[in-house]
Amino acid sequence: MKRSGLLVGLLAAALPVWVSSAARDQHSEAADKPMRIMSMNMCTDQLLLSLLPPERIASVTWLSRDRGSSLMADAAMKVGVNYGLAEDVIRQKPDLVIAGSFTTPATRGMLKRIGYPMIEVGYANNFDDIRAQTRQIAKAVGEPERGEALIADMDRKLAILAQDRAPALRVASWDRSGFSASAGTLQDEILRVAGARNVVNEPPASIYGKPDAEILLLTAPDLLVQGSPYAAEPSLGDMVEQHRVIRQYWKKGRMLTVPQAYYVCGTPQIADAALSLRDQMRRSAVAVRAPLPFAER
Amino acid sequence: MTRWLIPALLLVLALVSTASLLAGTIWLGPDEIVAGLSDPAPNLTAMLVSEIRLPRLILAILIGAILGLSGAVLQGLLRNPLAEPGLLGVSGGAALGAVIAIYFGFSATFILASPIFALIGGFITAGAALMLSRGGGTLSLILAGSAVSSIAFSLVVLALNLAPNPYAAYEIMTWLMGSLADRSWDHVQLGAPFILIGGFLLLFTGRSLDGLALGEAQAESLGINVGRTRMLALFGTALGVGGATAVSGAIGFVGLVAPHVIRPLVGHRPGGTLVPAAIAGAVLVVTADIATRIIRIGPPINLGVFISVVGTPFFLWLVLHVRKQTA
Amino acid sequence: MSALTLETVTLRRGPRRVLDDVSVTFAAGRLTAVIGPNGAGKSTMLTVAAGLLSPDSGTVRLGEDLLTALPKQQLAVRRAYLPQRAQVEWPISVERVVALGLLPQLPAFGGLPDAFRPAIDVALDACDLQELRDRKATTLSGGELARAMLARAIVGDPELLIVDEPTADLDPRHGIDAARRLRARADAGRTVIVAIHDLDLALRFADDIVAIRDGKLLAAGSVADVMTEPMLAELFDVRARIIRDADGAAIRFLE
Repeated sequence: MKRSGLLVGLLAAALPVWVSSAARDQHSEAADKPMRIMSMNMCTDQLLLSLLPPERIASVTWLSRDRGSSLMADAAMKVGVNYGLAEDVIRQKPDLVIAGSFTTPATRGMLKRIGYPMIEVGYANNFDDIRAQTRQIAKAVGEPERGEALIADMDRKLAILAQDRAPALRVASWDRSGFSASAGTLQDEILRVAGARNVVNEPPASIYGKPDAEILLLTAPDLLVQGSPYAAEPSLGDMVEQHRVIRQYWKKGRMLTVPQAYYVCGTPQIADAALSLRDQMRRSAVAVRAPLPFAER
Repeated sequence: MTRWLIPALLLVLALVSTASLLAGTIWLGPDEIVAGLSDPAPNLTAMLVSEIRLPRLILAILIGAILGLSGAVLQGLLRNPLAEPGLLGVSGGAALGAVIAIYFGFSATFILASPIFALIGGFITAGAALMLSRGGGTLSLILAGSAVSSIAFSLVVLALNLAPNPYAAYEIMTWLMGSLADRSWDHVQLGAPFILIGGFLLLFTGRSLDGLALGEAQAESLGINVGRTRMLALFGTALGVGGATAVSGAIGFVGLVAPHVIRPLVGHRPGGTLVPAAIAGAVLVVTADIATRIIRIGPPINLGVFISVVGTPFFLWLVLHVRKQTA
Repeated sequence: MSALTLETVTLRRGPRRVLDDVSVTFAAGRLTAVIGPNGAGKSTMLTVAAGLLSPDSGTVRLGEDLLTALPKQQLAVRRAYLPQRAQVEWPISVERVVALGLLPQLPAFGGLPDAFRPAIDVALDACDLQELRDRKATTLSGGELARAMLARAIVGDPELLIVDEPTADLDPRHGIDAARRLRARADAGRTVIVAIHDLDLALRFADDIVAIRDGKLLAAGSVADVMTEPMLAELFDVRARIIRDADGAAIRFLE
């Protein structure tokens, strides 16, 4: 009786403080929500463009306008552009700068020194990172509910995938520099949640420090995943990416595409890529019932 | 003495070539290779050998041979043991041509664009270096070659920075340092015709180079057309080294080392160095390629880097040696 | 064997006439010495005579044939030319140097046919080089190198032999030896043309003299006719005396 009375009394004493600070927070939130935000990193660009309408974004980097590596290229066209330079900050006068850990160190250092409102966001390597960064940016721009909504959508799709995976086919990701999607990359995460077995993480490929075309033949994956979008802009890497053995054995019917824009930066849209990959794998499963002619068992 | 030189060199080439087929990320035994190749059904060993190792070996032989041959011809033409396609900037010019062809779309429309652009680039740089060094001695030759080479390579970097493909800048190292990684029969088809024609032209200069040992005036008096010899050397080098660079990037020093090693074995007769230097060059590149594949300390080493690591001390020694001789 | 004839040959370099309307005949079976002060045009005349430089006007004939009409290979077989201070650029053996003289007669590929070996031996003997045949040419002394070069010039037995300053940098003994060998060629019926500074040797060994000054022919004819004190004084712009005694003739220049 006495204890419960004490508790109620304490709560009653704390209530006005708690309510008034909450009221003050709400009031300050409405006043302090940044209205002109500048993002100086392609990955933070993506999240920002997903969270806010164009009117509240001062600029994003020029890289986000490139359809090949940016999912939000259309949205990026509607806002201003910056090149990661301190001069851009001076000219565009944002009330909040979002920088990535890879934004020009000189610019970041200078903004920090003069105390400009800035947050630094790290690089996402897995789904937890994606959630944390989405929340971080959403909070900084004053739209935490939007952030949660994006995360919830991603988690919903991941849950669907967890129930309903693709057949566990052996897959390798091969691009201009050979094998990619090693463990610890977003690309590997996409393959994993879609249900694929990424051969680069299993022996024999995992034994070799730099697996090459010989290892590709040795592991003989059922399917190959490629994601490079620069077909119209040729480079030396094309000769590796379109190696003769790939054209001969994987190009017809064993080739899957995950546009690299989905994994160059970690955004909640990554789940869409995993779903698409799962569907592609299902469609190919019938065709790849037989192993490759030179596969060793 | 010279009678057994070429057969001996061919034997060494055969040995390292065999090693090249056995060595690699996955070591193969000779019996496995024979079994695999004789099996009509596709199997891993046959694939490895026929699709990956064999084209790589053939490229290494062709590239090494043309570099060695071109070095021998240029040294005979200029009467200078320091002349070679790398030093004269031919490789740089060829790399520039190939980079422009590949990264600015010409190769997509016309498959032979890269070796042709490479040959034009090599021709321009070789011509420029030869013109700049006319009349001067060794020093002016090295300076001219250095200048032309630097200009060519900085233009390569510029071109790659301007290229539409954003990965172009990352591929600079391959171009500047040479590589045979992941090459296929596509590359052999592209480069071989140019290398073979260039080599053919170069082989015709043998007699003239012998005569040039007496200087240009006496050579002319012996019926040698020095101007035509110079053109054959220039075209042969541009074609051959152009084709080689288009498929592997710029590789230097082979044309310097191979003829130098061979020369005393043929009595210093310049015409006699041609074929043996070609074979020696092939041995060098095949061996270096094997080394890059089996050395597993740290990240993979580019072929050109490896050859430079071996070649640069040799070059320095050679410069001092030549200075001592002429002093 | 044929005579070499220059007819009204003129060669300009820029505004200067290096050879000015020169007409002269070099007879077969005779040794002709071309003399003159520095810059007179001796080397240029020899180069034109060898067919290695085309005059701006005038003709050069070997026997009846215009030099310009002869195919390069054929001319190379018939005529041998040695420039001043001939060098060898690679350390090849003396034997190889001599063999190079046979280049015009060799096929494009392949080694030296055995049929040619006797000719090389003859040339080595004639120039006293048998002991040096395996030595590297870059290690030879001045006299030895001169002999090797001459051997390379005569190995193909050309009918026309043109040598620019064969005795430059040679000591008296080697100078006389060189002159004697050239003399022997002329005696064998060849046309020998030599540009030379050593006038005493010219006096002793030449049959004919061609004197040239500032690109113009000053005198041409037999030694006896041309080598006079007035001619020498005009040619070299210095007073000259020809001293004759029991051992022969010598020229003394006075201030």
